[in-house]
Amino acid sequence: MTLEEKLTILADSAKYDASCSSSGSTRKNDGGIGNAATSGICHSFASDGRCISLLKILMTNCCIFDCKYCINRKSNNVKRAIFTPEEICTITMNFYRRNYIEGLFLSSGIIKSPDYTMELLIKTIKLLRYKYHFHGYIHCKAIPGASEHLLKELGSLVDRLSANIELPTDNGLKLLAPNKDNNKVIKIMSYIKENRNTSYVPAGQSTQMIIGATKETDLNIMNKSESLYKSYDLKRVFYSAYIPVNKDKLLPSLNTPPLKRENRLYQADWLLRFYGFKVHDLLDEDNPNFNILVDPKANWALRHLNEFPKEINTASYYDLLKVPGIGIKSAQRIVACRKNFKITYSDLKKMGIVLKRAKYFITCNGKYFISSEYFKKSFIEANLILEDNEKIENRKEQLSLF
Amino acid sequence: MREDLVYLYNGNFNSLLDLIYRLLNLKNKPLDICDKEKYRPSLLEEVVELELNDHFDINKLNLSSNIIKTIYYVYLSEEEHKELIIYYFLLNALKYREKIFTMRNLKCVSSTLKIAKYVSGESHKLKGFLRFKEINNHVLYAEISPTNHVLELLSYHFTKRLKNEYWIIKDVGRNMYSIYDTKRYYIVSGKNINLKEINTSENEEEIENLWLSFFKTIGIKSRENKRCQMNFMPKKYWKYMIEMEGVYEKSNHE
Repeated sequence: MTLEEKLTILADSAKYDASCSSSGSTRKNDGGIGNAATSGICHSFASDGRCISLLKILMTNCCIFDCKYCINRKSNNVKRAIFTPEEICTITMNFYRRNYIEGLFLSSGIIKSPDYTMELLIKTIKLLRYKYHFHGYIHCKAIPGASEHLLKELGSLVDRLSANIELPTDNGLKLLAPNKDNNKVIKIMSYIKENRNTSYVPAGQSTQMIIGATKETDLNIMNKSESLYKSYDLKRVFYSAYIPVNKDKLLPSLNTPPLKRENRLYQADWLLRFYGFKVHDLLDEDNPNFNILVDPKANWALRHLNEFPKEINTASYYDLLKVPGIGIKSAQRIVACRKNFKITYSDLKKMGIVLKRAKYFITCNGKYFISSEYFKKSFIEANLILEDNEKIENRKEQLSLF
Repeated sequence: MREDLVYLYNGNFNSLLDLIYRLLNLKNKPLDICDKEKYRPSLLEEVVELELNDHFDINKLNLSSNIIKTIYYVYLSEEEHKELIIYYFLLNALKYREKIFTMRNLKCVSSTLKIAKYVSGESHKLKGFLRFKEINNHVLYAEISPTNHVLELLSYHFTKRLKNEYWIIKDVGRNMYSIYDTKRYYIVSGKNINLKEINTSENEEEIENLWLSFFKTIGIKSRENKRCQMNFMPKKYWKYMIEMEGVYEKSNHE
């Protein structure tokens, strides 16, 4: 098998992992090649619009596990391949020198045993760091069930170490990944949380959940995320719309992956992490799923219209964050600027604040953007949905040009 | 004080700052400030050319590094009248100091910050989109054609990242080269340099093919979204990216 064939097989089987981020590390070039960029750098964008930052590959797609949703499961009849540590180094170094990539994202199927697999991963990363003097970004997957001393060693070599929770509930995991034990994933997360410092997993840990393969509601999923963020200091929870790669009576047969739902979950995830929202603000037992037509923040605002409009010149930072269309940067900018001058609508424009959605929920010096009699739910909701649909219509037209 | 004069500078950042420093001290408001190489004389304008210091000491301005960095980014842009924008920004910066960054109701401040963001944004994008290929068996060579003059910013980035490599980055549009010899980089005009001996290294095609295979494989078919891809990676950069140049050429022939 040629190197190119191997790369094709092992990138193909790694592509379903959503994580690509290369941020959060300050690793310096210590006399060799490479360094990390704190903000992360995207090097290309794939045909699906996802960023390519890291060389995302599996060491091998051979696996002793038989997880129903996974393309690499034992019972699947797919071409198998395994990289040697030297081969991984050759590709990484050649790609990095040419600035194709920001670093390596190495994961693996489990061969022989979790410890054996981990030892091979460690051997590869050590070679890269010590023989090739590579100081670029490395994200490595920890293998559930591996011994603690291996977790310790691998974590001190990489920037990010992570383990995937895969499914939002234990029942889902038991059903679809009978060989995977939730406790083993939790054990890795706890260990990383306890030991993390500037030389151990400096860029922190993340995890991923598959969305739509099992029957969990958005409420189940967000509750899980909230508790993961709280308990293990995760940097990110990634959501991956379920894509049917296997046929199995336990799996739903979807024609298209639930991308809109995935998008809503990401939006809500940001609201939890940076906007001071709690899951129970957004969802409850009566409304356990996000509205597909309106984004979670606008949906919340429409249900709490009595708290609006917010006055740009006096609302607190957290109140500004509650305004649909106003993000963290905009809110910070407003708070910093209004100390110096009274903000008018034309100032907002100069400040680079986008009013397309926000205008329905704010006043500027007591003035609403049109006659205040229009400040009611039906009018605002219709306009927000209309704007989103226009966006979709435009997209259709532009797409047909190709 | 006359406010109808056009002042010329030597086409470098330091002489521009020297000029602005003097104008601010004299409380002279210029009608315009122009690079003397690019200035086209007009009968209606009176031109002043002072003897300026190309090594002007920036510390004389007594401004924070944040402010200097911001105006340097504006200087690297292709914005019309960028020198005048810098002048008015500095005029206000002397008054407001660090607070200037929150005085966005002033036109010169909002313009300055917008342009600076555009330049740093393009530089950041190219830190990712720039592609080297190996030539003459050990030198890395890249071509770019950015809207803004970001060659210096990129050189600084790759000096740290690829510090033991020999590399050359060519700004095709400006015919400028940055040449790094494992110690420091030199930015030189294409007029003064002869690079006829460029031979792509032997196994370069093999590595490019590996990258093309990876790029093709990593996209998920059932999630295809070319519009999203183009939003994040604007077409103007495709020409020099090996994974996109095929698409670029095709779309130009249709």
